[in-house]
Amino acid sequence: MLNSSLTGLSRAAAGIVLMASCLTISAQPPAKSAEPAKPAEPAKALEYVGSETCKACHEEIFNNLQKTPHSAIETGARRGWDQKSCESCHGPGSKHAESASADDIKNPAKLAPGQVDRTCLQCHLNQNTPVGRLASGHAKDQVACTSCHSVHGAGGAKLVIHNKTEINQKCSTCHLTQWASFNRPYKHRLPEGAMSCVDCHNPHASFRDDTVRTAFGNEPGCLQCHSDKRGPFVYEHPVLRLEGCTACHDPHGSANPRMLTRHEVRLVCLECHANLPIPVAQPPSLGGVPPALHDLRSPRFQNCTICHTKVHGSNVDRTFFR
Amino acid sequence: MKTLITFLLVLPLCAQDAPKPAQDANKPAQEPAKPAEAVAPAAAPAEAAPAGESWLKGSLQIGYRWIPNIDGSLNTYRSVVNLGEGLRLLDTDFTLLNPSKRFFDRADVHASSWGGDPYNTLRVDVQKSGAYRLTADYRSIAYFNFLPSFADPSLSQGLLLDQNSFDTRIRTTDVQLDLLPNKWITPYVGFSRNTQFGRGITGFHTGFNDYPVASLYSDQTNTYRAGVRIELGRYHVTLEQGGTTFKDDQGASDAGPNAGNFTGLFLGSTLPLNSLNELYRVRGDSIYTKALLAANPYSWMSVTGQFVYAKPRTDINYTEASTGTFYLQRILQFYSAGQDVLVGDANLPHVSGSLTVELRPLRRLRVVEYWMTDRFHNAANALLAENLIVSGAPLTDQQLLSDRLVLNSNREEIDAFYDLLPQLTLRGGYRFEWGDTQVRAPILTGLALQSADLRRNVGIAGVNYRIGQKLRITGDAEGSSSDQTYFRTSLQNYEKAHIRASYDLSAEWRLAADFSLLNNSNPAPNVMLDYSAKIESASVFWTPKAIKWANLLADYSRSAVRSNIIYLVPQTLSPTPSIYRDNGHSLSVVAGIKWFSLGGSLYVSSGSRPTTYYQPLARFNWPVYKHVEWITEWRWYSMAEDFYGIENFRSNQLTTSLRFTR
Repeated sequence: MLNSSLTGLSRAAAGIVLMASCLTISAQPPAKSAEPAKPAEPAKALEYVGSETCKACHEEIFNNLQKTPHSAIETGARRGWDQKSCESCHGPGSKHAESASADDIKNPAKLAPGQVDRTCLQCHLNQNTPVGRLASGHAKDQVACTSCHSVHGAGGAKLVIHNKTEINQKCSTCHLTQWASFNRPYKHRLPEGAMSCVDCHNPHASFRDDTVRTAFGNEPGCLQCHSDKRGPFVYEHPVLRLEGCTACHDPHGSANPRMLTRHEVRLVCLECHANLPIPVAQPPSLGGVPPALHDLRSPRFQNCTICHTKVHGSNVDRTFFR
Repeated sequence: MKTLITFLLVLPLCAQDAPKPAQDANKPAQEPAKPAEAVAPAAAPAEAAPAGESWLKGSLQIGYRWIPNIDGSLNTYRSVVNLGEGLRLLDTDFTLLNPSKRFFDRADVHASSWGGDPYNTLRVDVQKSGAYRLTADYRSIAYFNFLPSFADPSLSQGLLLDQNSFDTRIRTTDVQLDLLPNKWITPYVGFSRNTQFGRGITGFHTGFNDYPVASLYSDQTNTYRAGVRIELGRYHVTLEQGGTTFKDDQGASDAGPNAGNFTGLFLGSTLPLNSLNELYRVRGDSIYTKALLAANPYSWMSVTGQFVYAKPRTDINYTEASTGTFYLQRILQFYSAGQDVLVGDANLPHVSGSLTVELRPLRRLRVVEYWMTDRFHNAANALLAENLIVSGAPLTDQQLLSDRLVLNSNREEIDAFYDLLPQLTLRGGYRFEWGDTQVRAPILTGLALQSADLRRNVGIAGVNYRIGQKLRITGDAEGSSSDQTYFRTSLQNYEKAHIRASYDLSAEWRLAADFSLLNNSNPAPNVMLDYSAKIESASVFWTPKAIKWANLLADYSRSAVRSNIIYLVPQTLSPTPSIYRDNGHSLSVVAGIKWFSLGGSLYVSSGSRPTTYYQPLARFNWPVYKHVEWITEWRWYSMAEDFYGIENFRSNQLTTSLRFTR
């Protein structure tokens, strides 16, 4: 199974590289016909021309920008781009203003995502959300800031959408598999518009896996809403602290009640609490227990949480009875 | 919450106070551009209503929902859908642009599902350029969960009861005020609250029996935070100090007699519960300190880092009084009443830190080094006093309990990104995860603590190919061979891959595909874990330019989860595989033809818990007038499970509403 998957992956990777090569070749501009060599002209130094010059041709874009928080670049002197907000991202525009050629101006939409990010992070590196951007999954996958943010505020006066339903639509255009999980019966209420992807994930970065938000400083974002599970408890259930909620739950959606990873509660528990000691030669695994006396044929013992009610952590009983 | 709503109602009044908004709004647009020197930096005219634009823009949708039938299990319907009948404020979304700029420049408000629906949301965003920005987010979610298939040992006797059920409401509020946004120094304060209140059924276990009893849930967490963002050209620092308070007053009670789940005779006697009063009174607080650093010291180098120290603690007071007939194995006797009192506390100092350095030594090469550590240590103590009535005489006992949990977790990763072509970026990297932990040892081992280590070496590769916004392919993969992990089910020898592609075939067609794979195995003789999860998805989006009244959006996803792991069946002491299979198909389609939309979603799965869940819909949007739209929507919810037919349900719903836009 593993071998076949790896073989498939290798083929997929080879296919991607091959396709990329073909598309790259086909995307190259056609070779220009030989022209008589012109005498070399001295290269002009690029200069800033100011936003009013840009506005003359790009009035709609300029007006949109002025409705957004980015207008502070145009009107504020602090960042040093007052009256030059367009060129703060696009670079000096003197050559473009003269030639009106798109080749003579920096267009972030055509840059590599890493370069786009660097343009944005010149100002935004410090803000609370993008501070870990450099190591985030989106950055690694070359998803540029402009994939989600409308820098000019096109279609409204916002740089990014805030409506929960629209946020979910935006994320789902790329994260198809995750969004499909929300068609399952037991899920967080995203399709109903009660929550959005960014309630749990910080799309910019998080030091937690899967860009899960943090709550209370450095704890998993799940606890922001499920704060009764935060503790600390007198008796912790170690798996919660060490592996997190996803050790037992599929937070995006599941066919199993309570979004559990298994169809029966006892199997969720028994896969760790297997009653099987690890051989001495093996590194120890946590959660193994000596053989218990539970008769799993009895329905009483098939639903562990009937007795072990405080499975997220107990303040009274080490076996989570109360 | 009342304050928020009051504030919301007052906002339009502030906006209306401004005399002659139309003329004022026109004025700046008609004036010629002023020279740069004349523009005051703080006086950004950003959100003023330009000429011809209204000071109020937005929409309001009010309607009525009929639910003619809910067939099958009402409790499952409430656990899964939970929508009710009646008049609703379905959605409102509006923006106020204050021409006078007095108090605020702009306010955005979005609210949905008010008037009795189980999910209410409200978001308010008010700002005055250069002065402040206030955001408030409120969410109230009804959490109803009552599924006999989850926890009902009496199911075989025909009793439909979930002995771990909830009927609660979870409310979350978050408010943040940023002062002097976009200035060198931006102070901010924030407040969050999360509450849960409601009822349910929980289990009470004592002796050899367990009893379903009524439970009352009541907990509240408040978080206060204040900080400052300092921007110094190339160096930026954010400092934040926060704190939380927590209280949990959960209680359980029963007036008896309650036979419990063990209905037979134990040593010739039944084991009924005659009365129970159980009360948790947990109080907690914590402080945290957060520091974020970001810097671009050189053109070829960026650095970010964060440090967080938190110290949550809880104080516990627990009382329990119960009467009945119970058996205590420790003394090998029956007892008729028990009274337990516990006082305790738990402390969990928690330190986290991370540092990321990006180096750009060559134009095409970026190297990112990431280091992270997360460390905490929970130390807890409790004193439990028990008072039992055994054969009419009191028997007392006291136990001093203590426990601890230690985790030191670290991660270091280095990634190199190379732009082989302007359109093609390759990535390669290596990650090492290591840590150690001490947790409570199992009861019968005779040990107090058990230790385990983590050592995980991970190789990383990735590729990204794009042609502008038209074509985009991203692939990443990682593989690991670990010799030490914490749990039997942890990632040990695993391969993970993800390929995502999107292609704008034309301005009208967009295609996307997504494939992910995770294989994990642990070949240890008493584990024999073999896990595989594979998901493939594809979507099509069609918006023809020539036929403006038609569009199509379709997503299909197929998922397959396969898991085998060995456990020991206690009654036979024989190793048995725990087998889990889930083969799911998910489809979402919405096709729009002029005023009509048809579609919906379906989920069909086979395997360990075969389930079908259909949600077809039909919608009719008729523009009655320039700013009024009549929307009628029919939805059908149908869920069926092969093994738990008692939980199947079907429901029709018809919602008709008017949507006003301005």
